[in-house]
Amino acid sequence: MNAELTAYASNAMSGPLLLAAAAFTCLLLPLFFKALRGTQGIMALSAVLVVLSFIKRAPLTEISCFNGALLLSPAAAYLWAFTFAVLAFIILLSLYRPPAQPDSGGEYYFLLLMAALGLVTLMAAGDLFTAFIALELLSLPLYALAGIRRSKPGLEAAYKYFMLGAFGSAITVMGIALLNATHPDLAFAALMKAGAPEPLALAGFVLIIAGFAFKTALVPFHMWVPDVYEGAPTQISAFMGAAVKAGGVIILWRIFRIFEYGPIRELFWWLAVITVVAANLLALAQTSLKRLLAYSSVAHAGYLAVAFFGGQRGFEAVLYYLPVYAMATIGAFAVVLVLEKGEKGPVIDDLAGLARTHPWLAAAMAAFMFSLAGVPPLAGFFAKFFAFSAAVNSGNTALVAVAVIMSAVSMYYYLRVTVAMYMKPAAAGATCGAPGAAEAVIFTMAAGVILAGVFSKPVLTLAAAAARWF
Amino acid sequence: MELLTNPLSLIVLLPGLAGLMLLAVPEHRTKAVRKLALAATLLTLLAALKLYAEFDAAGSMQFQFSLPWLPAYGINYTLGVDGISLLLIMLTALLMPAAVLASFSSIKEGQRAYYICLLFLESAMLGVFAALDLFVFYLFWEGMLIPMYFLIGIWGGPRRVYAALKFFIYTMAGSVLMLVAILWVAAAHHAQAGTWTFSMPALYGGALTAGAQFWLFAAFAFAFAVKVPLFPFHTWLPDAHVEAPTAGSVLLAGVLLKMGIYGYMRLAVPLFPAAAAVFAPWLAALGAFGVIYASLVAWSQKDLKKMVAYSSVAHLGLVMLGIMSFEPAAVSGAVLQLANHGLSTGALFLLVGILYERRHSRMIDDYGGLAKVMPYFSAVLLIVTLSSIGLPGLNGFVGEALILFGSFRVYPWLAGAALAGVVLSAVYMLGMYQQTIFGPLRHEENRLLSDLNAKEWTYLVPLLCLMLLIGLWPAPVLKMVAGPVNNYIALAQPQSTAHALELK
Repeated sequence: MNAELTAYASNAMSGPLLLAAAAFTCLLLPLFFKALRGTQGIMALSAVLVVLSFIKRAPLTEISCFNGALLLSPAAAYLWAFTFAVLAFIILLSLYRPPAQPDSGGEYYFLLLMAALGLVTLMAAGDLFTAFIALELLSLPLYALAGIRRSKPGLEAAYKYFMLGAFGSAITVMGIALLNATHPDLAFAALMKAGAPEPLALAGFVLIIAGFAFKTALVPFHMWVPDVYEGAPTQISAFMGAAVKAGGVIILWRIFRIFEYGPIRELFWWLAVITVVAANLLALAQTSLKRLLAYSSVAHAGYLAVAFFGGQRGFEAVLYYLPVYAMATIGAFAVVLVLEKGEKGPVIDDLAGLARTHPWLAAAMAAFMFSLAGVPPLAGFFAKFFAFSAAVNSGNTALVAVAVIMSAVSMYYYLRVTVAMYMKPAAAGATCGAPGAAEAVIFTMAAGVILAGVFSKPVLTLAAAAARWF
Repeated sequence: MELLTNPLSLIVLLPGLAGLMLLAVPEHRTKAVRKLALAATLLTLLAALKLYAEFDAAGSMQFQFSLPWLPAYGINYTLGVDGISLLLIMLTALLMPAAVLASFSSIKEGQRAYYICLLFLESAMLGVFAALDLFVFYLFWEGMLIPMYFLIGIWGGPRRVYAALKFFIYTMAGSVLMLVAILWVAAAHHAQAGTWTFSMPALYGGALTAGAQFWLFAAFAFAFAVKVPLFPFHTWLPDAHVEAPTAGSVLLAGVLLKMGIYGYMRLAVPLFPAAAAVFAPWLAALGAFGVIYASLVAWSQKDLKKMVAYSSVAHLGLVMLGIMSFEPAAVSGAVLQLANHGLSTGALFLLVGILYERRHSRMIDDYGGLAKVMPYFSAVLLIVTLSSIGLPGLNGFVGEALILFGSFRVYPWLAGAALAGVVLSAVYMLGMYQQTIFGPLRHEENRLLSDLNAKEWTYLVPLLCLMLLIGLWPAPVLKMVAGPVNNYIALAQPQSTAHALELK
């Protein structure tokens, strides 16, 4: 490794290290200095901003750190920048309305930063063991975060998430163990070269896929999603939808691309079809806004799985899709946050008349809904276009036909939100919280989904450059 | 910035930019909002007239403009017009100021948002007609849905939410499969030529197998059939028309329906000529059947708007018959009829809007004897009705006669059947006219109705003049569309599939 690469690697690694340091600072420092209590959010935010400034254009090579456990490449740089940016917006939303009880210490930010640390490790993981450890580092703080309000729906969400998540982790470990029986080297690069797997290894792969499908929320591993999204603090739901899903998608892609054909491909094919169909149909019946967004998140995981079938070009589309989807999701959850009064967040009818009382807020929400639905000229359409274009190009027309028909179905539930906002009279006493940081987030995201489509070239170029390093 | 110096690109962008400018005007300054909206549409009309003046009727695609957009996908922002698209652009630019003027007194709430929607809609409509790149076309095609959805859903009648949802989902469901087909065509071209492109001229006549063409044409044809709307895909139309505000109905009937026919002529047929030859008789038959069916349904309507809506289905069925006969006279007539239908049906909806604004009813039974209280209105309605029926000397006649003469050579039975439908249109339109205008003044409250005011004259007179002008002297329009019509017929001839490509 020459000096330049060493410099880049140490620079890049300082990001996660700083994150870890900031996490412990948030947790411990206020214990000793009473004056610092309540400032943990500011500390976390400034730490993340510093970390973001560490992101540099990566050299066009793959730097293998810690014996190949972490791979630093342009792809990792892209995904890390994405994760840290999402994290910054989540912290902004948490500053706007603290999700934890006022008397609690810095554990909220500690957990959030640790989860982010796990996520960036997962995204850069070079082998399955590292991926599993990163997955645990990501999941355990999330279980706690889901229930951090210690309210009944929050605890229920946390409990459900923990039980199902632990089950998913166990399955993943089992799969890795089975795979290790035949493949001593569990690095993704080595698995690529290993050739057609034996039945035992195949079983291992299936279990690993199931485990990560839990995190990505592919049907039938999505059962936890609506309850957890509804019960968890809204900021955490946004974090799960926007960022955590990306981690699962990256690992699934690493496994998917090992197989050119065969049963694993078919498994993914069915996962994609079932997810897209079931999630969109189930979403039709939802009345709670958070549950609606939860099912929408499941559906989008399905579209991402469809994009996998486009091969390299499809993965470029995935890397473009992730930030576009994240913007719409963070924005929509931020609107939920502004409107929520109870523990469970607003129902769709609570939005009635929002266009009259808060026209800009309603316009932004409409932009998020149309972007999620994939209506041009919003960014969501471009994301779907790129994803489906790649899949059709590699001959998966039937799969794409199912996906587009279901995205036409999805129109109905996204439109219901706009119907409530624009075409229903205002509900009596409909108020929403004071503006502030949340509005800044909402309008940044709205500008993003409106502009990132028509001006998608820069992001798309970055995504294409990053996709080459997987 | 060539985006603004190219006359065609300017026309497409102008209304949208004006819409963005409206955002900066304070909401309560409604007068300024209305004036700005009117000025923007008038400016667009001027720009369109300038385009017409500079257009060379003998040339092919003109004012071409291309801007690289997404090079990795071979997508360029390419615009260009031939006679057909120019005609439809002129029609759009002409109907927009009328639609804006007609909204001045009828739209009271949320005026700024309303005019922003109208202006965005105009940009999208003009973009559809100007696009020469499949991606750009699809973008404008779908982008049109959002403003139209809000126009119907917010400022519409009592069942507006249902109508708006039905309109949106029906159209979206129709066009998503077209998206897959577009992706397929581009992928097939990529497999054959090694480069990505979504440019329409480059994809014309691509050597696809007949089997592939069949499905691709079906996907395109379905999307466009929903929009036309061709029987039996027309059920969204009466709902949307009846619930939409006057301007929405005018634009739906005057422009949006044309897009379906335009789609067949610009995309479905030239891209997949072999499949078009297979489908043409069936589409022509659906068109002819639609003429009779919709005329019969229109006959039984008691609601003025609903009747006009069904008459649109009938008219466009006839146009469909024309373009599917691949015969120069019939196709020219069909294109002319697009403009005619835009003028006469647009004017009909404007007139119904005028009545509704005064009396708040669209039921034929609520009127009668209007000739006594609104003589000028009655005269204008008469001209428009006769134009819609196709009386010689007015514009409708030229188009209908050309379609029927032309298609008779190809589909004698269908043309005969359609002729029966055309006769029916005279029955219900004149019946409607007689019941509303003549007879005794049955309702006391109608005695107080005021006749046309200056504003209404302003937007009706240009339409009336054009009806007369095209009726008496259709040559300029026919000359303008002759070249593109011949192109269309030439492209519709199935090429040899010797080097046909089997894709995956």
